[in-house]
Amino acid sequence: MTQTTTARQGNGSDKGIFSNTAGFSTLITVTVLSLAWLAGFASRLFAVIRFESIIHEFDPWFNYRSTAYMVEHGFYNFLNWFDERAWYPLGRIVGGTVYPGLMITSGTIHWILHTLNIPIHIRDICVFLAPVFSGLTAIATYLLTSELWSRGAGLFAACFIAIVPGYSSRSVAGSYDNEGIAIFALQFTYYLWLKSLKNGSVFWSICTALSYFYMVSAWGGYVFIINLIPLHVFLLLIMGRFSQRLFVSYTVFYIVGLLMSMQIPFVGFQPIRTSEHMAASGVFALLMAIGALKYLHSLNPKGQWKQLLILGGLAAAGAVFLVVVLLTYAGVIAPWSGRFYSLWDTTYAKIHIPIIASVSEHQPTTWSSFFFDLHVLVCTFPVGLWYCIKNINDERVFVALYALSAVYFAGVMVRLMLTLTPVVCVLAGIAFSILCDQVLREEELPTQQDETEESKSLYDKAGKLKKRTHEQPAPVDPGLGMNVRSVTLILIMILLMLFSVHCTWATSNAYSSPSIVLASYGNDGSRKILDDFREAYGWLSQNTAEDARVMSWWDYGYQIAGMGNRTTLVDNNTWNNSHIALVGKAMASNESAAYDIMTMLDVDYVLVIFGGAIGYSGDDINKFIWMVRIAEGEHPKDIHEADYFTERGEYRVDSEASKTMLNCLMYKLSYYRYDSGGSPPGYDRTRGALPGNRGFKLTYLEEAYTTEHWLVRIYRVKKPDEFNRPRLPLAKRTVPTSNTISKKHALGGGPMTTKRRKGMLKNKPTIVKGKKAVKLE
Amino acid sequence: MKYKLLLFLTVILTYYEGYAQTRGKGLEEKVQQLTDLTVKKSIVSLNLNKFKEYVKSPPRDYSFIIMFTAMAPARRCAICQHVYDEYLIVANSFRFSPAYNNKLFFGIVDFDEGSDIFQMLRLNTAPVIMHFPAKGKPKPADSMDFERSGIHAEAIAKWIQDRTDVQIRVFRPPNYSGAVAFSMLFILVAGFLYLRRNNLEFLYNKQMWAVCAVFFCFAFVSGQMWNHIRGPPFFHRTKNGPVYINGGSHGQFVLESYIVAVLNGAVVVGMILMIEAAGGVKNTEVVRSQAEGKRRRFQSVVGLVLVCVFFSLLLSVFRAKTQGYPYSFLFK
Repeated sequence: MTQTTTARQGNGSDKGIFSNTAGFSTLITVTVLSLAWLAGFASRLFAVIRFESIIHEFDPWFNYRSTAYMVEHGFYNFLNWFDERAWYPLGRIVGGTVYPGLMITSGTIHWILHTLNIPIHIRDICVFLAPVFSGLTAIATYLLTSELWSRGAGLFAACFIAIVPGYSSRSVAGSYDNEGIAIFALQFTYYLWLKSLKNGSVFWSICTALSYFYMVSAWGGYVFIINLIPLHVFLLLIMGRFSQRLFVSYTVFYIVGLLMSMQIPFVGFQPIRTSEHMAASGVFALLMAIGALKYLHSLNPKGQWKQLLILGGLAAAGAVFLVVVLLTYAGVIAPWSGRFYSLWDTTYAKIHIPIIASVSEHQPTTWSSFFFDLHVLVCTFPVGLWYCIKNINDERVFVALYALSAVYFAGVMVRLMLTLTPVVCVLAGIAFSILCDQVLREEELPTQQDETEESKSLYDKAGKLKKRTHEQPAPVDPGLGMNVRSVTLILIMILLMLFSVHCTWATSNAYSSPSIVLASYGNDGSRKILDDFREAYGWLSQNTAEDARVMSWWDYGYQIAGMGNRTTLVDNNTWNNSHIALVGKAMASNESAAYDIMTMLDVDYVLVIFGGAIGYSGDDINKFIWMVRIAEGEHPKDIHEADYFTERGEYRVDSEASKTMLNCLMYKLSYYRYDSGGSPPGYDRTRGALPGNRGFKLTYLEEAYTTEHWLVRIYRVKKPDEFNRPRLPLAKRTVPTSNTISKKHALGGGPMTTKRRKGMLKNKPTIVKGKKAVKLE
Repeated sequence: MKYKLLLFLTVILTYYEGYAQTRGKGLEEKVQQLTDLTVKKSIVSLNLNKFKEYVKSPPRDYSFIIMFTAMAPARRCAICQHVYDEYLIVANSFRFSPAYNNKLFFGIVDFDEGSDIFQMLRLNTAPVIMHFPAKGKPKPADSMDFERSGIHAEAIAKWIQDRTDVQIRVFRPPNYSGAVAFSMLFILVAGFLYLRRNNLEFLYNKQMWAVCAVFFCFAFVSGQMWNHIRGPPFFHRTKNGPVYINGGSHGQFVLESYIVAVLNGAVVVGMILMIEAAGGVKNTEVVRSQAEGKRRRFQSVVGLVLVCVFFSLLLSVFRAKTQGYPYSFLFK
């Protein structure tokens, strides 16, 4: 596919490959792009080589599970799939709550390969999908940059995006997530948009809309496109760059794109009902108004049309804005949703939506993460931006807007670094291309001069040889001189080399961990694999009932469903905050209160992650404070965040920790029977403290399984008849002949036994209550 | 016999009623006085006598939230004013909320008016917000911890809800300053454009727009948004002198981000110098004299040095922050 696309690019001037430099340039283009694809693919394979071909992290497990379901049951069954294994007892309508583009993409590849009799497992397709798509992204970036500047800049940009850590962070082998294919769709849509804007042809606009449709089906980030393109159009209108090309390309794109985006079940009627999409329709109306005014103007070119045009345009803009505001107030259009709103009001999520604030991806970005993800590009892309604005045209307005909006969003949220990376690659490619162009072009000038000055008799021959270089008419010393240029070239080479080693290092060290398999390195460099997660999920799938319900914090929901194949209460699709808060409340309550919640939710097993033995910092105790916060948001009467801190406001687990903390379920499940981890047995290596509450017994739960390194601990919730049973001496256990009811009466008589049999009240509530009441009076 | 009993009962009842009245009179009177005071001003300002009468003496069925502060300018308590503003918002929200009742009152004690109270409660810092519950003495948790929860009105309201179960929905008087500033800016820009309506060339000045865009990029790439949201210190003071660079990769200081922005900017300037020296984008044929060539060569070398030095500096700052980062250029 690369070859064909790029070959078509070069075809225009490609007559004979050896007589024409265009032939060489096509060859070079194709070679560079294939090498970029290869390098991008290879640099994403660290995880597969170090561990195995395995799906990573959390969300990819759900994507993999639903892809496997689709491959097995067919597309229509997938669209109608009601998953009763998730969000017990609510369930989840998967077909209507998922962006199906990813599953369809890999399902299609699977189908094609199987039609060709290549028997490949769907898991391998899922694992290698993102690295393959990184090559397509490189090509799309090449095309986009060629539209903006030149093909040389395009090649630079393609090479940059193939290996830059900001993009490979989301597209290493095994990270089977929407972003992997969405960045390709994003770049390709932008390329087609610029193409259609340049040509003003309906064909390219339809292509843009189709590509946009693919993007909508793949990722929620399509909102970025449907706001950025209208913004571009709006800015072009303000700058007085209205043209028929603009009119045709935008209106066609908007209408077709709108209709197609509404075909995705998850999106549905949102494009006409929510504020996030209103910019597009507003600009559409405005463009129509201005088009009409222009048409009137063309009917009668004389007269006071210019002022009328400006006034009419302003009035139309005001009217459109007012209509949108009024409709929002009337409730026809939904206001901005919290997730988007928190991009503008940056403190909004922190106060109102703890579940968004709790995710580490949603934190703001420090300069060092910018540098880590982009390295030399971060300080060269402003150069590209500078020259794009200095030599502005319709397309470069777009790239400037893209850069400025993306840099803002990336500053607000680490996660959106992903949308910044492509534009940074484009602009840095332009910057490097300009510099290289200048330095390399003039390199040939002095030699030409030297020759012309020294030997005029050889002028003809030398001139013929040098014909393909640019001929400079000025005979005087024109440029920088050999030394400066070579040093500059060497510097560029060093910078690019530093960039590539940095990219490899960052991808290898930071982004290639599957996170379900951990590796630790000994002092002698030997590697130890900690496979506790899969051990635990394997145990669940082998040793528990088919329909057992497992309660865990939402981070592990997809993994339990994907690997353990058991029903979960909450998972990474955090659509129901109150359900999550209920689980958080259970974890934050003491054992008996938690037992009530757990019986209410029919929980059979509880799974907690405990990293104290190996010093794993991402465990549940460290996340616990967010469980408390989310629970407090829904149950302010029962849970108070302050109770979990010490008097001095510290979050501790040792003997100075607060009483609530030491007795909550999460604490007990983490530290129950814990005696590993260092010199004093029971030392917590993650928190660096000796737990304050040790040697306790569990009443309502029992330990079912603990993995090798204590990382995953699974507990079984006891049935009501299994705990708090009165202890009878052996001799009394065999009562030969007796009426059971009378025995219960005898046991329940004394005040002591009443207390001990508290858990049994449920069975015989009326009898015991009646007795108490009588006694009190 | 019957009448005797009746009489007896009546006597007893009257007696009890009277007793209750005498006992309750203090309470009712106090509540009435406090309610009258709060009608005028939602925060009751207390001196020693009033403090003893309303807060310390026993017949009491209301909780009292009291802020101990030192508002006098001579005391130089900068934070006191902020805390007072927030506290006032909470008190006003309660005063004008539908849940308003006479079970909760807000008071203030200024150090210059009631230093005896400070001594009595052994307070030696200000500001402090304390809760005096209706029954019993204040516990340690009855003084609010600003360090942990912050001084925002919402935090104070939440703490009050924790202590007294009275829920106060904080109603901030709408902050018009942002809107006013925005409209002022808008009017200024519009007026400026109107004044220069005959000469709008500067709007087409690409240089200006490019500079704005590039500065915007520097601001965000150097993490100003992080500073805005997290509010880190300007730089860190230690015993061994000031520290400008945060040691971890998850944090940064304000000064540090400025330094990084300057480093980035220097690299960009260097690169633009190099490109311009080599002829710029359009490669226009400028007059190429010997002197011109020399100047351009010099400019190019300056650009080269800028890029090299400042990029290596950036790299070494990054290296210092990232543990185990192996690469560096020119400087360690």
